[in-house]
Amino acid sequence: MSDPVSRLVATAQGDAVDNPFRVTGVMMQYYYVCERELWFESRNIEIDRENASVARGTRVDESSYGERSQENLRLGMIALDLLEDGRVVEVKPSSTLTEPARMQLSYYLWYFDRVLGVEREGVLAHPTERRREDVSLDDDRCDKVESAIRGIHAIVTADSPPEATEKPYCESCAYHDFCWV
Amino acid sequence: MDKNYHIFSDGRIERSEDTVRLETDDGEKKHIPVEHAEAIYLHGQIDYNTRLMSFLNDHGVAVHVFGWNDRYAGSLMPERGQTSGRTVVEQVRAYDDPEQRQSLAASFVRGSIHNMRTNVTYYNSREYELGGVIEELDNATARIDDASDISELMGVEATARRAYYQTFEAVLPDSFAFDGREYNPPPNPVNALISFGNSMVYANCVSAIRATALDPTISYLHEPGERRYSLSLDIADLFKPVLTDRLLFRLVNRKQISRDDFRDEVGSCLLNEEGRTTFLKEFEETLERTVEHPTLNRKVSYQYLLRLEVYKLKKHLLTGESYDSFKRWW
Repeated sequence: MSDPVSRLVATAQGDAVDNPFRVTGVMMQYYYVCERELWFESRNIEIDRENASVARGTRVDESSYGERSQENLRLGMIALDLLEDGRVVEVKPSSTLTEPARMQLSYYLWYFDRVLGVEREGVLAHPTERRREDVSLDDDRCDKVESAIRGIHAIVTADSPPEATEKPYCESCAYHDFCWV
Repeated sequence: MDKNYHIFSDGRIERSEDTVRLETDDGEKKHIPVEHAEAIYLHGQIDYNTRLMSFLNDHGVAVHVFGWNDRYAGSLMPERGQTSGRTVVEQVRAYDDPEQRQSLAASFVRGSIHNMRTNVTYYNSREYELGGVIEELDNATARIDDASDISELMGVEATARRAYYQTFEAVLPDSFAFDGREYNPPPNPVNALISFGNSMVYANCVSAIRATALDPTISYLHEPGERRYSLSLDIADLFKPVLTDRLLFRLVNRKQISRDDFRDEVGSCLLNEEGRTTFLKEFEETLERTVEHPTLNRKVSYQYLLRLEVYKLKKHLLTGESYDSFKRWW
């Protein structure tokens, strides 16, 4: 069983796997934001905690939805911001990186479907902008999630990180100075 | 980057509401704004309790303690976010691989000599005749790649530094004769200034290293265990010419520091409290000074350059991307 997707499902379902493979929601998001950041994250290379945008993300998560989000629903590899009327809700401070957030949420829906055997609908919420967007798992999205899982596998098993490439949001990244110095 | 706070008096520091309060033995009370503190330097006899330590830990503030004659005695470092087994493993692996250690050590020596040379050329272009020193430094640099082991590299560094110290003789007035570098204890004012300045550079490097997950005891040019935080010595050497030496020349030549700022004892000479206060005020201002960074495309403080140097080393260790030591570019 060498396909990362089947390895991930088997790992998540608790089967005995020679080579367990895990993907978290954050890893899925990073795959679409920056592959280098994904490699750093997979090696637990810690970020600069004084960085202002990191502090900001944590604050919005903790404050906007009050007590409920503190619970942080853990389901094996994934940790949901919250479940609302049976729908999976992903909370983001701003809509600047919508596609990565959409893919993170899609991954949760895929995980519900393939690992837990339950169909769920998703909501992407930007509380600071009072905006919500419905997300559901169609075939297209499903393929996209699975090819991302394979892509993530290739990156995190590599000996060195992908080279730094300049992106519009590099400025606000916690790894900015680490990458560019 | 936040500020360093230096306390010279004897007394007590404690948490008071949401800030830190200093109460000196003379009954004076002062507040240290914890949100803007990078580290607190204790030069006097100070009492503190665990409640203060937890408070400083929460705010990520380090405490550096200096003992008799202002010798570095140790640090109380905030614990949060600074442990990574993997980082330490990679750090040791690089130490254990002769080729990698040699290349890191060589890079430290190359950077140190470059930064000494920048000072020499600065004074050479003014009124001093220092062409001979520059030539000696260039000869030393040329020998770096041929060095076959760490001790040879140490030798190259030592030769360069000896040549470099001729600059001190040339640039400083006769009343501040240098007579070569001597440490414990420093025998004259120039040695006292170098010792004091370098111990501040060293402590700031400890702060910078401990803000990342690198282990300050595993080093490459200096032998681990030579002193407790030998990685601080590796990094500090790069910055001494920039942070200590230039400041020393300026303070003495502009007579901001005079013979009265020292107290002589049998066989030793040390800065008195007034001298240390003058030096530290200017030292802290130097740390806050900024320079345009060539790849980060923004201005960074000299103090942040120390942190960046540690990031560069860490990046090299964890990703295999090459490390090129700090060389003053301005």
